[in-house]
Amino acid sequence: MSEALLELNGLSKAFGAHQVLDGVSARIRPGEIVGLLGPNGSGKSTLLNAISGFLPPDAGRVTIAGTDITARPAHVVTRAGLARTFQLPNMPTRMTTREVLRAGDVAAGAPRHMLRRTGRDDRIDALLEMFRLAHVADLPASSLSGGQKKLLSVALALRGSPRLLCLDEPTAGVHPELRTEMVRILKQAAGEGTTLLVIEHDMLFIRQLCSRCIVLDRGHLIADCAPDELEHNGAVVEAYLGKAVQKGKTAR
Amino acid sequence: MSDFLIHVSAVACLYGILALALNLQMGLSGLVNFGLIALFGCGTYGAAFAHLWGWPPLAGLALGLVFAALLGLFFARLGDRMSEDYWGIATLSLAEIMRLVFTNEQGLAGGAQGVSGLPVTFAALPADTAALARLALYAALLVVAFVICQRIARSGFGLSLKLMREEPQLARALGYDLARSRRIVMVVSSLMAAVSGFLYAHYLTFVGPEQLMSHETFLIWSMVIIGGIANNWGVVAGAILMQFALAYVPFVKDWFDVPSDFVAATRLIIVGGGILAFLIWRPKGIFPERIGGSHV
Repeated sequence: MSEALLELNGLSKAFGAHQVLDGVSARIRPGEIVGLLGPNGSGKSTLLNAISGFLPPDAGRVTIAGTDITARPAHVVTRAGLARTFQLPNMPTRMTTREVLRAGDVAAGAPRHMLRRTGRDDRIDALLEMFRLAHVADLPASSLSGGQKKLLSVALALRGSPRLLCLDEPTAGVHPELRTEMVRILKQAAGEGTTLLVIEHDMLFIRQLCSRCIVLDRGHLIADCAPDELEHNGAVVEAYLGKAVQKGKTAR
Repeated sequence: MSDFLIHVSAVACLYGILALALNLQMGLSGLVNFGLIALFGCGTYGAAFAHLWGWPPLAGLALGLVFAALLGLFFARLGDRMSEDYWGIATLSLAEIMRLVFTNEQGLAGGAQGVSGLPVTFAALPADTAALARLALYAALLVVAFVICQRIARSGFGLSLKLMREEPQLARALGYDLARSRRIVMVVSSLMAAVSGFLYAHYLTFVGPEQLMSHETFLIWSMVIIGGIANNWGVVAGAILMQFALAYVPFVKDWFDVPSDFVAATRLIIVGGGILAFLIWRPKGIFPERIGGSHV
């Protein structure tokens, strides 16, 4: 097996008595597009927060390309090459869509760019066109629809050509036509060297995009297989649908 | 130009610098600082200590700048450990502690009596010329402070501050070190406040703890809120407007022949009522922040 880009070793996190992650271990190789699945409350977003520095794990280790980033601050993890989006992509009320993208551009650039005056940027215009946000470029970013905010957050995450891109439900609220476009954009990013970890409930999207899926249930990793194998995996079926009721027994 | 107008304009310029400092913190960066007057106090007491120790006035400026930078860094450090609202309370508390220490420690810059007899700026010039020279100096420094704030607001760093103000989680996800940004903003604005304090001390020729009363902080807040939060033009306009409004209260007292108590009470009403009225009916101020960044 080639060296992992992202390696999780025994990652655990509890909120009080509630064990949200319980010894999760996984390896993601460079260039993979991996779906992170599981029922609501299974710990997917918590795992993403623990990886990306937004929530320090109680135990375990996270490495990116061999660099230990366990419990490092989010900005340090970002600079190590990880970009992420959020399930609920809140956007600023007093910044335009273009300004938000520009802020992402500055963050991805050299520190000396920080004091340069900001202005129009052809690359940002191209990005706005690619994500079909050109018509809302000069509106407050908070006024965008839920789907447009998702697109903007993906566009932001791709600004710095990250080594690992973690997406938390990127297609929720996005128009079906744009989902296809998003699959194309994400595959293109993967082709250019970005590894993807995608939380998603839309199985069609997962099948179109991912080559591999890992599944969480109640904080445990219960499956690691190809998308087409998920429906034949007993543990996955049970996690989503519950245990089958045996003949002769009455469901209560 | 009458002495009165020169005086009010000079003080308005010094408050304008303070309003720009607060705007950099609160307007642009979302740092709700209720203890700004402590940073101003670093400048006034820098001047006072230099005078007491027989140092030249510029050494007092250097002392005030060092005090302010250290206090600004301490404020920023507190911000790493507290949420925004608790940080605001902590800054207010620290400013009050500073005032109480200077009030009660007799051996520290004269205690409640303060320090008087500081040399007035441009003392060697004839009185009329000196007054105009001071006004020109303060106006020039206000312009410098304004240019610095505009430059920051329109830079990439300014965009990161706006993002920190509104969506800190997104800013962190993009790779911004918010603690570092907070430190830079606090140091730059603290230095501006200290310069204002130093000049104020050498304008009044007196430094005392009553200059650090918390209502002074809220006067500066009123300038920012009324002028327009996160609009540098607006906060300078707010500072000038408020300073002139307060300066003309004694004339109103004379016109209506009301007791002297009226003056202090009316000033408080103008500040408190102004903040309240604008927050209710025009929360973006007279000159709102223009979204899109063509001016801030």
